[in-house]
Amino acid sequence: MSEASRRGLHVYRRWFQLVFLPLFLALLTLTVWPLGSVFLGAFLVGDPLIALNSAMNGVLRPEMWLAVVMLLVPLAVGRAFCGYVCPMGAIVEWASPKKRGSGLSERARERWRRAPVFVLLVSAGMLLFASGAFLVLDPLATLTRTATTLLFPFADRMLRLAGDLAYLVPALRDATDAVTTTLSGRLIYAEPRVYALAFGVLGAFAGILALNLAEPRFWCRHLCPLGALLGLMGRLGFRNRTVDAEACISCGACERVCPLDAVRDEYLATDTSRCQLCLLCADACPTDAIAIGTRPQKSLYVPSRRTFLAGAAAGLLAGFFTFTGHARRALDPHLVRPPGARPEDDLLALCTRCGQCMKVCPTNVLQPSLSKSGVEGFFTPEMDYRIGSCDWTCAECGKVCPTGAIMPLALAEKRTTVLGRAYIDTTRCIPWADYESCLVCQELCPVPEKAIVFTEDAVTTPEGADLVVKRPHVVAERCIGCGVCEWHCPVPRESAIRVRGLDA
Amino acid sequence: MDRRDFCRVALGCTVIGCAGGLAGCARLLEWSASDTGAARVATMTAGPPPSAEPTAAGVPTSTPEPTPPPLPDLAVYRGDDPAANTRAAVVALGGMERFVRPGARVVVKPNIITGRDPELATTTNPQAVAEVVRMALEAGAASVVVFDRPTGDPRTSYTVSGIQAAVEAAGGSMKTLSDRNFERFEIPAGRELTSWPLVTDVFEADTFINMPIGKTHGLAGLTLSMKNLMGIMGGARGEVHQRFHQKIVDLATLVQPHLVILDAYRIMIRNGPTGGKLEDVATTKTVVAGTNMPSVDAYGTTLFGMQPTDLEYLRNAGEQGVGGIDLEALVIQEGTA
Repeated sequence: MSEASRRGLHVYRRWFQLVFLPLFLALLTLTVWPLGSVFLGAFLVGDPLIALNSAMNGVLRPEMWLAVVMLLVPLAVGRAFCGYVCPMGAIVEWASPKKRGSGLSERARERWRRAPVFVLLVSAGMLLFASGAFLVLDPLATLTRTATTLLFPFADRMLRLAGDLAYLVPALRDATDAVTTTLSGRLIYAEPRVYALAFGVLGAFAGILALNLAEPRFWCRHLCPLGALLGLMGRLGFRNRTVDAEACISCGACERVCPLDAVRDEYLATDTSRCQLCLLCADACPTDAIAIGTRPQKSLYVPSRRTFLAGAAAGLLAGFFTFTGHARRALDPHLVRPPGARPEDDLLALCTRCGQCMKVCPTNVLQPSLSKSGVEGFFTPEMDYRIGSCDWTCAECGKVCPTGAIMPLALAEKRTTVLGRAYIDTTRCIPWADYESCLVCQELCPVPEKAIVFTEDAVTTPEGADLVVKRPHVVAERCIGCGVCEWHCPVPRESAIRVRGLDA
Repeated sequence: MDRRDFCRVALGCTVIGCAGGLAGCARLLEWSASDTGAARVATMTAGPPPSAEPTAAGVPTSTPEPTPPPLPDLAVYRGDDPAANTRAAVVALGGMERFVRPGARVVVKPNIITGRDPELATTTNPQAVAEVVRMALEAGAASVVVFDRPTGDPRTSYTVSGIQAAVEAAGGSMKTLSDRNFERFEIPAGRELTSWPLVTDVFEADTFINMPIGKTHGLAGLTLSMKNLMGIMGGARGEVHQRFHQKIVDLATLVQPHLVILDAYRIMIRNGPTGGKLEDVATTKTVVAGTNMPSVDAYGTTLFGMQPTDLEYLRNAGEQGVGGIDLEALVIQEGTA
């Protein structure tokens, strides 16, 4: 490596990553009630894959200019996003074994070059059939989801434990309480946060990192749908890595260090759908033959007709069979979507499965859907009223949704938005079934003219005692389905009052 | 093994060791949620806290007069300013110095059931709470801590109710309760409720001030000071709603606040205890202060046009000797602030 070649912005690439990953996490950390004016969803709104899906489904918002810029940038700098900005890319890179070069055979490497084509075609097929399920693999959505369901609950419990330990020292108690109060609702919650399938998210994330064992940055090279989309634009790039053919001594150093397998054709050409302009190759070049310039010599992967048809068929099948899924028609009675959620079909098409709504929710009621909305609805948000309820003072989930799958509602509007309707199970409700007093649901119903009322019924118990019992009833037209009744119902396990989803 | 490998192994062992240590701590502390069933014994007595010095019991040591005038059981003050009403009522009871000694740790328990604007009378008037904080600090309190256990998210409740901002401006501090703040306490005189996890601060404070707001309540009839103590209960409070009218009295046999201030500047006359409509709020511009919860609550019922005996739990409290609910037998000082 010659010192002269170590010039230019790429020298600071690590610093870019060290800024953008913490920035990403900082914005997500600030994504709590009440939302200020900082635009916290910048990464997801600026994600061209997500924006393209939103636009195709008819949702346009002014902030999407960022995504347009992001989509055009590869024309000039290739997939620099992957190497300089993407927080997921940074993590995958740092988790890669230090050993450079591929662990795959030459044949396998050629086969895996096709992968982005398949990823794009399958994504396109699902997009065409209005299923956003492919966004579950978007790197920014993946990282948001992982941080929401794993990192922040972990931080919550660690802070809790630190507080418990500090509490053993009486002198530290006041300070511990003060810190806990300050962090409450921000990093520590009244109840420790829980998310369904957190283990599955952990597995998926670990899997992405484990792919590094096959090849460094295997995920970024072959599977990342955002990388594939940026690469598609990169193919048209007018500026990229250039090699001075006179100076090149064909030593192969550049190919060995390239983290994205972009060096082609005896090292002189570049696969501009892959190059992230990290210029590790230039740094490794003993003759300083490599630079950034216009009119790069390209060597692009062109899928054979067979490959293309196979990918297209896979895409159409994936899209068609998600679109015709059983869960879209036979909606689960207990599937309740957050306030402002679009109708089921639109929600499934738009939702990025990123979990930002779950991050901002102050009561943890927003949970990833596992089975109620089918495989396609995996990780879309639903209300789990045994964990929490829709807080009367909060309407933040719609504001953080990067695609408008949950539409932003003003607080007053949210308070009249009907999510579902509560039904009392009189075979289990304490005053109905056990002739005891209760009325917790009536007490906590937040609707100003309570949607749960009670009657004072004179009853005779099976033992023959004459009692007057206050028994709750739901007034259907007042109930908004916020679920506070279901959350606080003292009947163990399954609440005796349950909110059911309604069809618009 | 070269140095790099050694560092790597050392780091790995450290991480594993720390994780194991943390897991061990977590097991020992049971993630804070320890409720082993073994209950702690604590006692509280109604009225002003016992004096530190063995001087005349209940009389502030700084008072120069040898025979202070007899103090009323209840002080009821009306006026346009919730803070001034509160101050006048406490002064009529002998001043905050009677309840707060210099250097005392003071705990104030308002009603912050959920987050609502103060105008909706769902939560205790923030100006009144702030005034109590100021008075306690004026009396020399070392710290004034304000908390409740809201039914929803504590942060939204503290913020929207306006109580957090008012208390902090007055020099007090809000506290968000964690599992570690609760401990199971024995209730020796309890008939239905014999032990329950309660906030330890209430028992460890030198002065505990109960500061409810008057509201209607489906099950209880009215929620006043006795019902307000449900906010210091941990655990699954839904279970308290069965045989409620005895359990709430049982709790009052154990937890006897030194000072009870019923905020009735605005009261909720329908759709309580959460409300949400201005039409359900009556502006009675009153504060009722006393040292005994059933007595304060007995007066509170009259603000709603009811009799103390209309509430089953008040009848129980009176019959079981927790406090006097016969307003005729109480010395009540009324005035305008």
